[in-house]
Amino acid sequence: MTLAELARPAQDYSYAFLDEFAKREVRRRILKAIAIPGHQVPYASRELPIARGWGTGGLQVTLSIAGPHDIVKVIDQGADDSVNAVNLRRFIARMTGVATTSDAQLATIIQSRHRITEERLREGQVLVLQVPDPEPLRAVEPNISLAREMHADADYALMWLGLYEQVVRFGTFMTGASYPVVVHQRYLMSPSPIPRWDTPMLHQAAHLTLLSAGREKRLYAVPPYTDVRPIEFEDVFFQVENQQGRICEQSGAVNKFMNEIPQPDGSMCYQASDTGYVEKLVRRARGEPVAIGATYYDDDGTFYHPGYLKEQEPDHR
Amino acid sequence: MYVAAKGGERAIQQAEQLFRELNGTFDATFVRLIERHMPYLIDRVMGEGSLYAPELAALALAQTGGDLYEAVLLLRAYRSTQPRLAYAEPLDEAHTFTVRRISAAFKDIPGGQYLGPTLDYSHRLLHLDVLDGRDSAPASPDGATGDPIDKTGAADLPFDPHPPALTDWHRRYGLLAPLPDLPPHDPASVPDVTRDPIHFPAPRAHRLQSLARADTGGVLALGYASMRGYGMIHPTVNEVRLGYADVRLRHPVSGALFSAGRVRVCQGEVVTPAGSGSDAHPSTNGAAPPAALNPGFTATIGWNEVKVIAGAMLDLEMEAANAHPAHREEFVLYHTEAVEASGFCIHFKLPHYVTFNSSLDAIRRAYAAVQQAEPQ
Amino acid sequence: MAVPLMSPQEERNHVTFTALMRALSHPGREQRLPDTGLAAFVAIGDALVDLETSYYTPHDALAAALVRTGARFLSPLQARYQFYPQLHDQHLDHLRVAPTGDYVAPEDSATLVVGCVIGSGPAVELRGPGIRSAIEVRIDGLPAAFWSLRAGTLRYPLGWDVFLVAGDRVIGLPRTTRVEMIE
Repeated sequence: MTLAELARPAQDYSYAFLDEFAKREVRRRILKAIAIPGHQVPYASRELPIARGWGTGGLQVTLSIAGPHDIVKVIDQGADDSVNAVNLRRFIARMTGVATTSDAQLATIIQSRHRITEERLREGQVLVLQVPDPEPLRAVEPNISLAREMHADADYALMWLGLYEQVVRFGTFMTGASYPVVVHQRYLMSPSPIPRWDTPMLHQAAHLTLLSAGREKRLYAVPPYTDVRPIEFEDVFFQVENQQGRICEQSGAVNKFMNEIPQPDGSMCYQASDTGYVEKLVRRARGEPVAIGATYYDDDGTFYHPGYLKEQEPDHR
Repeated sequence: MYVAAKGGERAIQQAEQLFRELNGTFDATFVRLIERHMPYLIDRVMGEGSLYAPELAALALAQTGGDLYEAVLLLRAYRSTQPRLAYAEPLDEAHTFTVRRISAAFKDIPGGQYLGPTLDYSHRLLHLDVLDGRDSAPASPDGATGDPIDKTGAADLPFDPHPPALTDWHRRYGLLAPLPDLPPHDPASVPDVTRDPIHFPAPRAHRLQSLARADTGGVLALGYASMRGYGMIHPTVNEVRLGYADVRLRHPVSGALFSAGRVRVCQGEVVTPAGSGSDAHPSTNGAAPPAALNPGFTATIGWNEVKVIAGAMLDLEMEAANAHPAHREEFVLYHTEAVEASGFCIHFKLPHYVTFNSSLDAIRRAYAAVQQAEPQ
Repeated sequence: MAVPLMSPQEERNHVTFTALMRALSHPGREQRLPDTGLAAFVAIGDALVDLETSYYTPHDALAAALVRTGARFLSPLQARYQFYPQLHDQHLDHLRVAPTGDYVAPEDSATLVVGCVIGSGPAVELRGPGIRSAIEVRIDGLPAAFWSLRAGTLRYPLGWDVFLVAGDRVIGLPRTTRVEMIE
């Protein structure tokens, strides 16, 4: 710190709210997280003016990496316009001066709770996932000290046992969102509570994913072009949520992750959960010029990495 | 529907406006009134907020309409914006102006017991006459007025604002194990819970720091469970002390120590006979003769006697070999973190429809699998 | 409320960090630092170290510049950030003992910032996370034993991470990168 810096006009807050020491600490941890994919790196996790558990982990990462030239997209459950996403987005913009967008193609940083965009992210983009519980072993080992040792030993036997029990009892895997994955053939990792539909999007992706849990004070990363495999058996496979036969009532999109909206008559109507994508489809239908990127799943529901998702034999469905 | 519509920003503004309209506006004068007249509330917010700033704590309370968890969060968030410029010297008795010091262990103790400012022995009667416009000042026994010292009358013994620690006396007479002989500590190397997440078993510094900023209600609930009988120890309050501590810093150029100001602090100490109950403590001092007593300790900024007493009991419980699950270190320290606990609790108000849909899908899949498996 | 602005130093830190993050995300791909030569090392120091961490460098002028950060100067055995503007053979002993973390906390390991020449000299082929299939780079100005020493020290997930700096260019070499010498 220099005298000139101390003497410059006072500001209500530091750039990006966090002081330079706090940002530097998060940055140091991010670099280590990238170097050890899927490993949870502890960090100080400062309190922010947003309640703990509301995205403070993701927010600290975004605030530490963003500069005035960034373009930020914030989504919650896929939606740009939910009040929580709006709130985080305006805080980020207010503290960093970044431009904001709902277009996944234009964003340089995408902070998300519970979803990845349907359009493929590209090199140079950073996806920041908010994480409520970073520990994939929590369900089988609530004691965090023991879980850390299990990661140290790469001892995931309890996890496999749990998976096996699910198959024996229910004939299928019972995990909904936060389906555990193995990263770079070493660390078991929680991908955050994204639906299983989104889990494959982390595998050999072009973009960098940073995952951060503010309350639990852990951050971790999936670098670009890194293997991310859901845990599954040789004969019982990981399955994404069934989206077949669902048509988005707003955009006509098919084979995208759909929100189920219960109707008064007991039926369901469907809306694609990625509102930025829906918005672009609607604009294109109106004849407006709009750039829509390639999606992870095509309209037939085929994932873009051939062979990654395996079709289950009918008797296991 | 609170997700939909492009009106997210407008919805937030209007919700905040409604809050303001319902709860009224406030100004600097009101903030000063809170600061002057609600010191124990201020202390609690500062303690859990880990930031000694009475004016900001008062502002936080005014701004949140007195919602304690919100006020603590405001203070913690503000704390994140403040760089660490220096490390203060450790606080000690010699540099703390003690105003209240009591021990339940002995009728009198070296240095004396001072009741100090407390309502402990007052009747908890609502002063209803204040509502009729009368002054709240309590009538002094002899009806005298004047400065506060006169009002309380002269003490029998000269008042020593720097009494020694009672545990020093215990140590001298072999009741407590001697303090480990450690070289002078580099304050920068003390583990810091605001910088490193806790790993278990936690360094002593982490445990004491966590208790210092823990949720008062949470510490009380777990501490009370111990006192009611779930605990394995039966402690005695050795010393409770309230005072004003000098925050001493070293001048960056001259190296001289100077006081940057005084802060309200309190500490609680409990002791239990070693080996009582099933709490055989793991021996920490090797060949030294076993001490008669085991100590538990908690200190915090601000005056908060409930927290330091309950915290000191939990400190002891966390050492016990077979502590009740609710008194194990990881359980206590994780679940008494005010900001994390309250924040996570209210996060359940956020939409969860993607995760809910995902589990519905898993249930439907399992249901289908069961139907498939049933013999036709 | 006005949007807070970066100070010039904060901006330099941000640009430097962004280059390092990209370098580590795409091992082998050059990124640009805001300064060149020794100033590039100072920029990395300013971006990464402060009184909450530690550093080592055998380079006197650089050590003098990094004192300002408030970081503790520790031995190569302990220092988390180590700066070698010119890596000589005698420094390889430092690298041999630099922290590689432990299995519970592999992140408690050194980050090495090492000067070199990029674009000439022996070719190496890099594979691993951040690299689509393989990338070839030419690196000169390192002791011949550097690569075998790195391979011998690395016990994934234990190991140190390297930034190779040439002028105002930086290449990241995380511990996950597999290096093969091309003859």
